[in-house]
Amino acid sequence: MELRMVHSFLESSAAERPDKVALVHDGERVSYRLLNRSANRLAAFLVQRGVLPGDRVVILLANGVKYVASYYGILKAGAVAVPLNVETGQETLGRLLDELQPAGVILEQGAGFLLQQLPLAPGSVRFVLAADASFPVCEPRLIWGWDEALGGEELPEGVRAVPPEALASIIYTSGSTGQPKGVMLTHRNIVSNTRSIVEYLRLTESDIQMVVLPFFYVMGKSLLNTHMAVGGTVVINNNFAYTASVIRQMAEEGVTGFSGVPSTYAYLLHRSPLASFRDRLPSLRYCTQAGGHMPREIKERLLQVLPPHTKLFIMYGATEAAARLTYVEPERLSEKLGSIGRAIPGVTVRVLGPRGEEMAEGECGELVASGSNIMLGYWNDPEATARVLDADGYHTGDLGYRDADGYLYVTGRKDHLLKVGGHRIDPQEVEEVLMSSGVLLEVVVLGLDDPLLGKKLVALAVPLNGNPSDRTLLSFCHARLPRHKVPGEIRLVAALPKYSSGKIDRASCLGLCA
Amino acid sequence: MNVKDEIRNFVVENFLFGDAGGLTDDSSFIREGIVDSTGILQLVAYLQERYQVAVADEELIPENLDSVQRVAAFVEGKRQGSAAGAGNAG
Repeated sequence: MELRMVHSFLESSAAERPDKVALVHDGERVSYRLLNRSANRLAAFLVQRGVLPGDRVVILLANGVKYVASYYGILKAGAVAVPLNVETGQETLGRLLDELQPAGVILEQGAGFLLQQLPLAPGSVRFVLAADASFPVCEPRLIWGWDEALGGEELPEGVRAVPPEALASIIYTSGSTGQPKGVMLTHRNIVSNTRSIVEYLRLTESDIQMVVLPFFYVMGKSLLNTHMAVGGTVVINNNFAYTASVIRQMAEEGVTGFSGVPSTYAYLLHRSPLASFRDRLPSLRYCTQAGGHMPREIKERLLQVLPPHTKLFIMYGATEAAARLTYVEPERLSEKLGSIGRAIPGVTVRVLGPRGEEMAEGECGELVASGSNIMLGYWNDPEATARVLDADGYHTGDLGYRDADGYLYVTGRKDHLLKVGGHRIDPQEVEEVLMSSGVLLEVVVLGLDDPLLGKKLVALAVPLNGNPSDRTLLSFCHARLPRHKVPGEIRLVAALPKYSSGKIDRASCLGLCA
Repeated sequence: MNVKDEIRNFVVENFLFGDAGGLTDDSSFIREGIVDSTGILQLVAYLQERYQVAVADEELIPENLDSVQRVAAFVEGKRQGSAAGAGNAG
């Protein structure tokens, strides 16, 4: 039978290989049978609390077994899983709860302040499930403990059937420009994208994935779903800050796949013992990278440092696409090093001009994607939805072109373009040149308001070792870029602010310049 | 001021914006959301500069760095030349 619901991946793997280890976290090893039972019990708890199909349930949990049981449990109850960043500030959280009107919230200590704010939560909230502590019981009953919630019967599979077109999850974008937006993904969106990813990565039940990305981030979510789909194993490690412990665990667990965003790999290359573990990772079949443009410099170094049998997949996607849109086959990577590759199975990506016309080879336009993975729209925001979704598909906001072999290249983001003097400049091009100096860990190029030029280019750079002089870096740029693209100033800093996904937080970087 | 106090001050000033409320010597930097992965690198850079100790990539583990107490012990160990795996990488 063809699986059409996101949670059917877990149910089917639990039926086929109940004793296989699905999750490894902090010494805990959880079988598919146990995980599926926990999710069924959580679903029953939700139904008892009056949760109806289509109701939103918010997850405020760090990556862990309880997160996974909650995610699938919510889906099994026919409800919509809304995972939020556990570090969401109180004000933003209040606003999000208000627009979501959730039926309930599953949280742990980090978000415990919410418990004190319960009188302020929207009236829609009928229960709070506290996953990691016992809280005083008050009447009317609102707060429940984890063991208590999972102590009951299981919800039989399939009793809360919803159609594949039903909303499965709302995932908030990191909001690099403006407020975060809630991306509405249906079961069909997620299932079709999960299938495509399984196909091109050739995932099987022997795969063991190291997950350091948060599950509330769309790429983390797809790592989970793809591995549940094939009956593989997900190793959760929330300690990426301590890179040596992550690499050690990869060796111990015989991890076959690792995934990260550009900064993940910058850290692995320069601030981890990856190189010295080269011959201790015999199982590491591949590494994948998505979540933004990764400088050529880092790709080249990775290819040298990773074990010779480890393939590197460079990929491209968006929350609005349920995760993935394109990838480069590792066999062609060195030949197409600057490319994001070609569309994954079931997806079409075209380069369109301002009037929706298809651009010729080599000509720049906006990347527009279509396929069954494209979102329904933004939650509660028809205007923002109308700006990005139309008959052509999803307008990614990324600018780029296609080469003679059909490979796509992203040159930058529409909303990152800076107008300096009379010129339009894409910061990505300048960042790429600065990184090629080989003396930087990471860099971001920003536009500061300037009375004369409109914007003035400023680079915030994190040096690898010691302190390279900004003059040397500037003359390096002068030799490789036209004058108007050379930053007016290069500031060396100890670190760049990031989102929990590891993506660079450009708004906070701008704040550093103030 | 001893090493532990200096490290505590560094964490409070750089990551808690001067508000030390709730930070104990044993608070886990990562689990309690005090420091993120970028911050750990800032902390390591500070240790190298302030105490002139080398921190090898292999030493980037929570046992060495995930609380005020652990960092202080790690630095003291380094200064006495007894830390396990004290490499020369910097």
